[in-house]
Amino acid sequence: MKRMKSVSFIITLMTILTVMLSACGSNNNASSVPGTSSPSADASSSSSPNANLTGTLKVQVIGDFSVEDKTDPKTGVTSKGLHVVKEEFEKQFPGTKVEFITMGWDDYNEKTQTMLQSNAADVYQVPGIAKFAEQDLLEPLQSYIDRDKFDLDQYLTGQIDGWKAMGSKDQNPEIYGLPFIGDARLIVYDKQLFDDWGVEYLSEAPTPEELMEKAKKMTGKNPKTGEQNFGITYKAGDAADSVMNINESKGGQWGTGFLWQDMKIDFNSQTMVDSLNWLVEATKYAPTGVLAGQGSENFLTAKNNIAIALRMPPGFVNDIAVTGTQDRFHAALLFKNPTQGMGGMFAGSPFAIGNTSKNKDLAWEWLKFSGGEFFQKYMWESQRNQSMPVIKSAANWDEVKAIPQMSVILQQMSQLWTPRYPYRSGQPRYILSENVEKALLNKATAKEALDKAQKDSTDWISSQ
Amino acid sequence: MKWGNGQEHIRPTEMLKSLNRFRSKRESYLFWYMFLLPTILGIALFMLYPMIESFRLSMTRGGNEKFVGLDNYSRVLTSETFYHAVYNTLYITVFQLLIALPLGFIIACLINSLSKGKNFFKVLFYLPNVTSMVAAATVFLAVLHPEGLLNFALSKLGFPATIWLAHPTTAKWGVILLSVWNWLGFVIIINLANLQSISSDYYEAASVDGATRFQQWWKITIPNMTGSLGILFIVGWIGGLQRFSDAYMLGGLQGSPARSLHTIVGFIFERGFGGHEYGLASAASYVLFAFILFITFLNTKLSKMKI
Repeated sequence: MKRMKSVSFIITLMTILTVMLSACGSNNNASSVPGTSSPSADASSSSSPNANLTGTLKVQVIGDFSVEDKTDPKTGVTSKGLHVVKEEFEKQFPGTKVEFITMGWDDYNEKTQTMLQSNAADVYQVPGIAKFAEQDLLEPLQSYIDRDKFDLDQYLTGQIDGWKAMGSKDQNPEIYGLPFIGDARLIVYDKQLFDDWGVEYLSEAPTPEELMEKAKKMTGKNPKTGEQNFGITYKAGDAADSVMNINESKGGQWGTGFLWQDMKIDFNSQTMVDSLNWLVEATKYAPTGVLAGQGSENFLTAKNNIAIALRMPPGFVNDIAVTGTQDRFHAALLFKNPTQGMGGMFAGSPFAIGNTSKNKDLAWEWLKFSGGEFFQKYMWESQRNQSMPVIKSAANWDEVKAIPQMSVILQQMSQLWTPRYPYRSGQPRYILSENVEKALLNKATAKEALDKAQKDSTDWISSQ
Repeated sequence: MKWGNGQEHIRPTEMLKSLNRFRSKRESYLFWYMFLLPTILGIALFMLYPMIESFRLSMTRGGNEKFVGLDNYSRVLTSETFYHAVYNTLYITVFQLLIALPLGFIIACLINSLSKGKNFFKVLFYLPNVTSMVAAATVFLAVLHPEGLLNFALSKLGFPATIWLAHPTTAKWGVILLSVWNWLGFVIIINLANLQSISSDYYEAASVDGATRFQQWWKITIPNMTGSLGILFIVGWIGGLQRFSDAYMLGGLQGSPARSLHTIVGFIFERGFGGHEYGLASAASYVLFAFILFITFLNTKLSKMKI
C-alpha cells in the first residue's frame, strides 16, 4: 500500500513537473491577435476571385516588426503595427486569419531553415532565398503568376530579377519570391561642405574619378570654419562591396554562374585591381579611424566634417529628418556597369511560400497583397526605418515626392545588379573582404590581395 | 543450517527478509533517482543529443548531408584562416592571463589588508564582471576611439595617439584591455576568498619570529594561494579559448581589421552561420573541444591540481 502511494506520488510529481517544464519551455512566437475568430467554412464571400479562400495563414517576418503599435525611441513617433495589414487582408478574404511569427535578424537563415523544414509557416521573409530554393524548400511562383496573369511590371525594374533563384532541377534562375522590402546603397554628400570649399555638387551619377577629385579638394582645413575636413568615408566592413561596385563602373563584373558547381569568380581582374587601388588611394582622404568604423559618427548631423559617404543605406532620409539636416545632405547614384546598365549589391527582402504549406493559394494571395498599394503604403508610413517601397507607383505618392532624396533612392533600387551576387552566400564573400582589408592596411598590394582572394575562393568553390 | 552438499544455507524466512530489505533499499534509491530524471532528461536532450548530432554533422557536407568521413577535419586542420584564428585566440588569452592574474592577486592582497572600505572596493572591482560584455564592449568602442579616453590619457602622458582598432596588433590589445577589465573583478573576488581563509595564526607566529610584512606575504600568503590561482589559471584558459563576444563586438563577424580579431569560435560562427557549412563548423567545434581538453590537462599537470 505504502509502495503504491509512493509510486502514485512519483507519477503525480512527474506529471506536475512535466506540465511546469512544458509551460516554461513554451516559446510560441506566433503573435496571435486577440479578437479574431477562427476560420469558418461558411464565411461570406467577397468580389475577389479567390475570396472563397479560408484558413489560417502563418506569415514569418524578420526584423523590427511587431503586431502592436510602437513608439520609435529616436523620433518619438508612434507607428502602426502589423495588425493594420492583418486586418486589411482578413477584410479582403473573409474567413481567413493571419498569424505573424516575428523574429530578429540574429541567425535568421538558420531559424528560417528550421521553420521551412518543420512547416512552421506558410509565407516566409527570405532575404537568403537562393539557399532555400536550391534545397527545394520554396514553391516556384511562375505557375501562379501565369494563372492569375499577375502584372510583375508594377515592381521597380530589377526587383523581381534580383530575387530569382534556382531549385535543384532548374536550368535558369526562376521566380521563388516577390519583393516587399526595398533596399539599396547610395552615395551621400554634404552640400554645405561643398559650398564651403567652393566645389561643385556631385553629378547625379558620378564616376569614381569625379569622387576622387572632389574628395581630394575637400580634405584639409575648411576655408570657412577652419576645422579639419575629410573628403570621403566608407564602411570598412562593406569595403569589398564598394570595390566590386567600382569594378562595375570600369566594365568589370563579379564573375558568372549562379550555383556553386558552375560559378566562376573574377576577383583578380585588372578592373578589380584598379578598383582596389582606387579605394586605397581614397583612404588618404578619409578620417584616420575609417578602417575601424570610427571618425564618421557625425555624418548626417550638423557637426559633420566629411564631404562624401561612399555607401549609405536609404534609411539616412529618416536620420536627416530627425537631425533637421534634410537640406544639407543629398544623394547620388552608385556606379554602374556601362554595358550591363546596372551596378551595386542587390538587397532587401522578398516573401516566398514554403513548399510544404497547406495554404499555398492563400499564401500566394498574401504575396500579391504585399506588393499592392495598401501594403507598400503601410510599409512606407509605418516601417520606413527598415523598408523602402518596391513598386513604381510609390514615386507618385505625395509623401515620397516631398523628400527630394527619394527619387534618387528609387532610381538606385531600379538599377541594382541582378541576380544578386551569388558568391556572397558562401565563403568567397569573407575571403574577398579579408583580402581587401589587407590591401587597405597596406599588408599586401592590391594585386597580391586579389590574387589570394581569387585562389582561396576558387579552391573553396571547387570543394563544394 | 547446512543443506545438501555441505554448503551453509540461509533459512527461507531470512532470505525473504533479506530480499525485502534489498527491494526496499532499491525502491528507496529508485524513488530519489526519479527526482533526478528531469535534469537527466534535460542534459540528454539539450547537451548530449546536440553533441552527438554535432559529431554526426562533422562527417557530412552540404544541405543533403553527404557523408564525407574525416574530410571536414582535414579541411579545418589545413585551413590557414583557422590557424590564424588559433594564433589570435592564444595571443589574446595569454596576455589576458599574464596581466589579470598577477594584477588581480595584488589588488586582492591590498584590499584584504585594508581595515576600512573593503566592501566598497570589492563592489567597485566586481562591477565590470557583472556587466554584459556587449554593453562593456560598446563603452570600450568609445574608450578606444581615436579621440577617446585612452588616447586622451596617453597624450597627457606624452605618448602619441593610436588608432586602436584600425591596426591588427593594437586591435588585439584593445580586446586584451577589455577582457582584463571585465575579468579582473572575478580574479580579485576568488583571491580574496582564499586570502580570508588563511589562518591569522600563521601571520601572528611569523610576526613573533620577526618576519617582515613582505616576508609574511612571500612565505605565507603566496604558498597558500596556489589553489585559487591554479583554478583561475585553468578557468581563464578555458574561457579564453572559448572567447567570442569581446572580439566579435570590437571586430565584427570577420574579426576586422584583416582577421586580427578572428577567434576560434568566430571561425566556427562564420563558417556555420555565415556560410552554412555546418559540417565544417561542427568539425572545428570538435577540434576546439580536443584543444581545450589538451590545454586543461596540461594546466592541471602544471598547477599540480587534483581533479
